[in-house]
Amino acid sequence: MSEVFFLAEFAGTPARSAQELATGAAKLAREAGGQAVGLAYGEGAADGAAALGTWGAARVIVLGDSNAPVITHAAAAASAIRDGGLALLAPATPNGRDLAAAMVGLLGVPAFGPVRAVRFEDGRLRAEASTLQGTSVTISEPSDGAPGPAVVLALAGTFTPEESSGTASVETAETAETAETAPADGGRLAAPRIVESHAEGKAAVNLEEAQVIVAGGRGVGSSDGFAQLQQLADALGGAVGASRAAADAGWVPYQLQIGQTGKVDLRRHSAPGGYADSGECGGHQQGPGCPHWRVRRPVRGWRPVCDRPQVDR
Amino acid sequence: MKIVVCVKQVPATTAEKRYTSDFRLDRASAESVINPLDEYAIEQALRLQEAGAVESVAYLSMGPEQTAEALRRALAMGGDEAYLVTDGGLGGADLWATARVLAAALDKLAPDVALMGMASDDAKGSLVPGAVAAIRGLPLLSYGSELRLEDSVARIRRLNATGYDIIEAPLPVVASVTDQVGEPRYASLKGIMAAKRKPLETWSLADLGISADELHGAALTRVVEVRPPEPKAPTERIEGIPPEEAASRIADWLAARKLI
Repeated sequence: MSEVFFLAEFAGTPARSAQELATGAAKLAREAGGQAVGLAYGEGAADGAAALGTWGAARVIVLGDSNAPVITHAAAAASAIRDGGLALLAPATPNGRDLAAAMVGLLGVPAFGPVRAVRFEDGRLRAEASTLQGTSVTISEPSDGAPGPAVVLALAGTFTPEESSGTASVETAETAETAETAPADGGRLAAPRIVESHAEGKAAVNLEEAQVIVAGGRGVGSSDGFAQLQQLADALGGAVGASRAAADAGWVPYQLQIGQTGKVDLRRHSAPGGYADSGECGGHQQGPGCPHWRVRRPVRGWRPVCDRPQVDR
Repeated sequence: MKIVVCVKQVPATTAEKRYTSDFRLDRASAESVINPLDEYAIEQALRLQEAGAVESVAYLSMGPEQTAEALRRALAMGGDEAYLVTDGGLGGADLWATARVLAAALDKLAPDVALMGMASDDAKGSLVPGAVAAIRGLPLLSYGSELRLEDSVARIRRLNATGYDIIEAPLPVVASVTDQVGEPRYASLKGIMAAKRKPLETWSLADLGISADELHGAALTRVVEVRPPEPKAPTERIEGIPPEEAASRIADWLAARKLI
């Protein structure tokens, strides 16, 4: 089996991660002599699936077209990839992680990540990750005889979307709700459902999707201060992020917190193209693993992290 | 109602860390702590117990023998008992092997909720909750900013891009929570003393009915190379000029690199 699968999240349109992973899967498929196959889910997935051909997908299997918890698609995804394949690229977003993890549990396949690069060398998959708080780079591969596809959790920015003129053929998966066709116990795994949805503000640029993040901390001082950061973010085409201290102070909603809320964590969930911050006293927390460039205006004086800007492109 | 909180022992953020010659973390050289994100899961479980929604809170960990220290620290925060899976066959265990072993231990303990932190501070994968749920064939409620339990149902509050959802599943479930559940408590001196007398049971792979062969040497992956990161370009500081001029220079710098 020479498919390189990728998870394609939709929120009306293909998420940035879907565009990146389609491009990455197509590149890996060319290296390995196979084809890129998308597994699409989320609102708009059925209508938008064929568009993934634009970024190199040859085929797309639609797992589901609603905003139901992603785990409800696990059985359908496992059915689609259970005959093997070279790799399954998953976005390092909360949903991507949940679905990737379920594949590891259901199929007993190897998992890598979160990685910042993946390639085939001599026919073997090699995954490159930044480890030990950015002090080491670790390269791993599947053990001899490990079943495929290898699940690879890719940080945002691992691949850059490249458009082509291709179109993808689209098929619809057996749905997770069809218990007869689901893998063992997929029914209970798929039980979670959204019983209430609450909107707390205007739809902001999704931090997980943002290519540029303008972040502020306690030093910004007020919600008015964050309004200024919003102006800068708008000018840069990015999103505002905040430290926990700023969110706790009520200056921004928790949806904008960069940290451990399950939304975005610069260490864990995101590798934005750029990161500018203001009034944050954080040191190493914002250091490793993420931005290609950064501009900082720290709370008090120059901080060690300011000596570690990166420009990778 | 019973909760088992899965706890991982990780190297402290500030500890100096290095790999051994076979590319494993040298745990002997690094100070270890409870994974900070697991402390939020512990806090959530203890709050549910204090509110009377849960009768018993137990802890489960997998790791070398010194992992018992992390379990004692968890017991000092509260809770009733702890279980440690430790076995020579588990050295270098990867995600799949870890999930497989935790799932077997959880099957044996049969809690209503298997609760975890949203990620570990060292591996950063956030994959164990989903993998354990899939192996056990149980509902996954992940990234909760709050966990609530009623008669036969668990509910989490989970942030989305514009607000939050309430997601529900019938018990038993596997759940993970974020740092929004509330600040973890400190262990009191009384708690630390009491923890010494709480039961801590140790299980081997054989106790869980898992053979070493089944685990494929505890890993489906292997590390083939560890190297230092690429050197960074030198820092250019823009200082001592009016803010307008500095902003303009930064904008030019970014624009020249097609970043804005």
